[in-house]
Amino acid sequence: MEQEEKEFNPKIVAFLCNWCTYTGADLAGVSRLKSSPCVRIIRVMCSGRVDPSFVIKAFKQGADGVFIGGCHIGDCHYSEGNYKTLRRVEFMKIFLEEFGIDPRRLRLEWISASEGDKYAATTLDFEKQIRELGPIQLVEV
Amino acid sequence: MAYRTYLMVCAGTGCVANQSMKIKEAFEKELEKRKLQNEVSVVTTGCNGFCGVGPIMVVQPDGIFYQLLKVSDIPLLVEEHLIKGRPVKKFMYIPGEKEPPIPKMRDIDFFKKQMLIALRNRGLIDPEKIEEYIARGGYSALAKALTEMTPDGVLDEIKKSGLRGRGGGGFPTGVKWETMRKVPGDKRYVICNADEGDPGAFMDRSIIESDPHAVIEGMLIGAYAMGSSDGYVYIRNEYPIALERLKKATGQAREFGLLGENIFGTDFKFDIKITRGAGAFVCGESTALMASIEGRPGEPRAKYIHTVEKGLYDSPTCLNNVETWANVPQIILKGAKWFTSIGTGDVTHDPWGGSKGTKVFSLTGKVVNTGLVEVPMGITLKEIIFDIGGGIKDGKRIKTVQTGGPSGGFIPESMLDLPVDYDELTKVGSMMGSGGMIVADEDNCVVDMAKYFLTFTQEESCGKCTPCREGTKRMLDILENITVGKGTEEDLELLEELSNMVVESSLCALGGSAPNPVLTSLKYFRDEYLVHVRDKKCPAHACRQLNVYTIEEEKCATVGHGCDMCKKSCPDYAIMGEPKKAHYIDQMKCHKCGACFDVCNFKAIKIE
Amino acid sequence: MVTVNIDGKNVEVLEETSILKAAESAGIWIPTLCYSELFEPYGVCRLCTVEVIRGKRSRLVTSCNYPVREGLTVLTNSDKVKWIRKLIMELTYSRWPNVPVVKDMAAALGVSEPRFKSLEQDLAPDACILCGNCVNICRDVVKASVLSFEGIGIGRKVVLPYNEQSETCIVCGACAQVCPTGHIKIKSLEKERGALQDWYLGPKTAINIPTLQAVPRVPIIDEKSCIKMQTGGCGVCSTYCEPEAINYEAKDEEIEIEVGQILITTGYQTIDLKQMSQYGYGRLDDVYSSLEFEHMLNSTGPTGGTILCKDGSEPRAVGIVHCIGSRDENFHKYCSRVCCMYALKFAHLVKDRTPAEVYQFYIDMRAFGKGYEEFYKRLLDEGVNMIRGKVAEISEGYLNNGDKPYLNIKCEDTLIGKFREIPVDMVILCPAIEPQFDASNIKKIFSISQSPDKFFLERHPKLDPVSTMTDGVFIAGCAQGPKDIPDSVAQASAAAARILSLISLGEVAVDPIKAEVMDEYCSGCRMCNSLCPYSAISFQEEKKISYINDMLCKGCGTCVSACPASAIIGKGFTDKQILAELEGILSV
Repeated sequence: MEQEEKEFNPKIVAFLCNWCTYTGADLAGVSRLKSSPCVRIIRVMCSGRVDPSFVIKAFKQGADGVFIGGCHIGDCHYSEGNYKTLRRVEFMKIFLEEFGIDPRRLRLEWISASEGDKYAATTLDFEKQIRELGPIQLVEV
Repeated sequence: MAYRTYLMVCAGTGCVANQSMKIKEAFEKELEKRKLQNEVSVVTTGCNGFCGVGPIMVVQPDGIFYQLLKVSDIPLLVEEHLIKGRPVKKFMYIPGEKEPPIPKMRDIDFFKKQMLIALRNRGLIDPEKIEEYIARGGYSALAKALTEMTPDGVLDEIKKSGLRGRGGGGFPTGVKWETMRKVPGDKRYVICNADEGDPGAFMDRSIIESDPHAVIEGMLIGAYAMGSSDGYVYIRNEYPIALERLKKATGQAREFGLLGENIFGTDFKFDIKITRGAGAFVCGESTALMASIEGRPGEPRAKYIHTVEKGLYDSPTCLNNVETWANVPQIILKGAKWFTSIGTGDVTHDPWGGSKGTKVFSLTGKVVNTGLVEVPMGITLKEIIFDIGGGIKDGKRIKTVQTGGPSGGFIPESMLDLPVDYDELTKVGSMMGSGGMIVADEDNCVVDMAKYFLTFTQEESCGKCTPCREGTKRMLDILENITVGKGTEEDLELLEELSNMVVESSLCALGGSAPNPVLTSLKYFRDEYLVHVRDKKCPAHACRQLNVYTIEEEKCATVGHGCDMCKKSCPDYAIMGEPKKAHYIDQMKCHKCGACFDVCNFKAIKIE
Repeated sequence: MVTVNIDGKNVEVLEETSILKAAESAGIWIPTLCYSELFEPYGVCRLCTVEVIRGKRSRLVTSCNYPVREGLTVLTNSDKVKWIRKLIMELTYSRWPNVPVVKDMAAALGVSEPRFKSLEQDLAPDACILCGNCVNICRDVVKASVLSFEGIGIGRKVVLPYNEQSETCIVCGACAQVCPTGHIKIKSLEKERGALQDWYLGPKTAINIPTLQAVPRVPIIDEKSCIKMQTGGCGVCSTYCEPEAINYEAKDEEIEIEVGQILITTGYQTIDLKQMSQYGYGRLDDVYSSLEFEHMLNSTGPTGGTILCKDGSEPRAVGIVHCIGSRDENFHKYCSRVCCMYALKFAHLVKDRTPAEVYQFYIDMRAFGKGYEEFYKRLLDEGVNMIRGKVAEISEGYLNNGDKPYLNIKCEDTLIGKFREIPVDMVILCPAIEPQFDASNIKKIFSISQSPDKFFLERHPKLDPVSTMTDGVFIAGCAQGPKDIPDSVAQASAAAARILSLISLGEVAVDPIKAEVMDEYCSGCRMCNSLCPYSAISFQEEKKISYINDMLCKGCGTCVSACPASAIIGKGFTDKQILAELEGILSV
């Protein structure tokens, strides 16, 4: 039991766009690529659907990191949803800092449907970073 | 303001080149100094024609003629003539040694026998002022044509006058205008050909320089008769003064409403564009000229369809020479009857029946008085050369007169009684041309002159058709051989055959007339050619390669004391001899340049 | 019609006909060196001079441009005419004594030895005789006015402006065509620029039938080389086409068609072989790409199916090199799938049609389909040399000086473990199949994806191999990945079936994922209105709230997350659903 306590298994919530990153993750799976096992995927139709409150909620619920994956700029299935995401994420990082959450715990990446390898590499890298940052510690107010 | 005296300073190209504008300035300065500026006016005029004695100034209203003026002479002239009222004899025209000077312009032989129609305003008006032209009756012919005559009436008058193309061809102007008038088409052009390319000829330049409005008025009348509203003047860019005056004149005419829309309150409209030629001789040919206006290379085309039907931009086009246009206002003003009273033949039934009116010639060569003369048709060559031209320089004997520019022919001394008109000149193998007249004396070699003219036409051939391009060059090769002593009698046959072929088969008139000097010289001076090819000698010593230069030893030693000048001048080091002793020429080394002959002050060098 | 008398014969011709043409119709020959029917007569050689008599006047005119008139009498062979022609010919002959047309004409006119010695004599057999044909055709027919005369008189010559290659020259070759002496030559700059045109199999005319198997088999006008389309000149073909079938106005046009479903079969291209300079393609003669060789094998192809080297000889040995650009770390990692089999076919056909030795250079032999392995076996029995190993270089070699060079193939034979050099006369390269160069544009237009190798990505590699992420857009054939003809046909049939099934259904079920405004919460702030990329959100003035058009909404949810009042719900992805999902995944 004690040993289990010590081992840190980060919880990473990933909001993946249906058209690019979600398919990319699927491709990574089909291609038998090793991606991070800590990632818990929530499919959204577009990364633009990711409401800032979802991110806050995820951290509040105990997520150690939040990953948002969208289509490459200019490739959005809905023309320009990922631009909105880009703006919101930059904004959110400032907020997170104010909440006492390291902004590095939030990550936005553009991964297309064909980039299974990039999905795998990025999630592993993010997991590594979260491990370095350690478990999230929120102070109840 | 009225002045008591007018100083008419000639501002033709010849006089301007001799500083006549500086003389004008000097006069103005001097008059101001003497407070005469309100009494005496200085006027610049067009060319007086007597270019050999420029700068020229005529004092009006007395008509006193001064020549060869220099800026330093002005104070004296003002002092003597304008203040003290004593005309200065030393600046007057002196017809010959020991003869008294002639004070009045109209008494000078050069001017006495002339009859001015195209050049009637020369020396009398300032060509840059339209008011002066109008004051001399200018534009009244246009007014008469537009308000009192129908286009057909104008046409009829020109037809009846028997006016023929002054550019050289001598095509009846009335016939040309009539054909053009009959051709259908809205866009139609009239063109004034001022691309005077003949070396030594400057009739057109002089007319434009002295009276540009006469040309414009003539074109206006022509345009009215032929229903045209667009005119072009094609003028050589080498005539800067003429070009400038023409530009000014069209500008003034436009200001006065004489060019543009609703001229004289009628429906008639007409305007003139000035196109500058780059100096190609062939661009004086009508089709080449039109090609040049259109912006294409100046090359002639076959004229089996006439330009009055399909000319500039494939529209009906009437092209006439400067002098022809300048004649038109006078014909309209004074009537065809007056015009036909001057000249030869009868044109009432056949437009080719005679030559009417006057013709301007540029008289050059070995005559005493060189310059521009306007004479009535039918005057003999003798009258022109001896009465107007004052005879041959240095009392030498006349050999031949060449008329019609580089495409004209030689007329021998025996034919000097020939009346000058289109048909007579053509009959003897020469032509009227645009009016060049070059007098040659016994020192001129006919072969050499023929070679000179052919060199010009050969160089100016556009090269389009084979006979002109290749033929003239081969002819020139043969002439070249003859003048250096390599010619044979067979060469003369071949030269004649080639000449005839080039005349018959060339595309345009340039090639068609280029061999004329060769043909006429062969016809009238065959003996001289034979001396060249048989004896390898040039009787006139003009073909230097045939000369043998020798030094009269005695003269050299005794009179010249072996001055050594010839030895120093010889580029071939062919002259031997010590100073103070007689020199001699090594004939093996001599290249016959003639330098020694020119430098010898003792006439010790002989040519054989 | 007018009647003219030519050499005593009465000839009836149309008005305005030239004497030359009238004489021609009467069978009378008139010599000329500068006449061409293609443009206005230039009338400069003057050889066609004839004597015309009208009334009492007789004059010499050039027959090429003198229009006939009623009652004209023409003498084409009078003494005067003969004299003129002979003399002109003497002049021409003395200047260009070795030009064949001049020589022939001189002989025809009886000029043997000219009496002149031309100082400008040009002894070249292809000298320019200043006939002006090139200048005239360029100006009047081609309307490019590239060539012109320079200089006057004896110094006249034909030049390009400033003696430089002109940009307005469309390289139509008309000038060289009309040049009577061959003075104008057209030089190919292709090799100098280091690049040969793809598929270059000899010059093509501007009007051609693109391929011999074209359907329908009618000629087309190549817009880039047609003079008419380039400069507005020429138009000669329309004067020859009796049914008046030539239409210069027809242009490529864009047509909009409304469709419900799209099948993308944009195919493939082969890799540019010139980037692999070690194989000598485009540099060495007789190194062909497989498609070029296929063209040569075609019985209606340029050689009629005979296998020939560029110099026209039969090859003694042929090398076929596999995997050019495929299975290659530097270019494409994938296998192009079709090369092995067509290479075997080539080998078979070469064996069949020539006695040449055939060498196959392969990495692995992939005879995977039905009957393929058997074919491979058969070829081994036919005596085709199979060498397992990658070719390093193809270079030119010479046996003896002056001999025809051979091609030397350097490779490693991995089966015997030795380097080998094999001389052959012809090499066929099997280039990799790769996506079309503009595949990424297609991808953007249809919002579909590309796999890392840039072929189009199917929705699922196993379960849905013909549809894409975008509903109604399907892919088939080599656009999806390299495959041979049976596979392409199969995939295309599958896609067609998918499309047909939707058509027969008559209606499309769309995802119910849409956003919806809850009227009671919407404050009418209009923030969402400008966000929507599809303009599906509009503001209702009367209710002062926003409204989402169901038909236009694609369900991306951007507006949902942007709504400050949470008044928009994304059906299928509501806040509640996502938060519940969050809670669920984080509870463990």
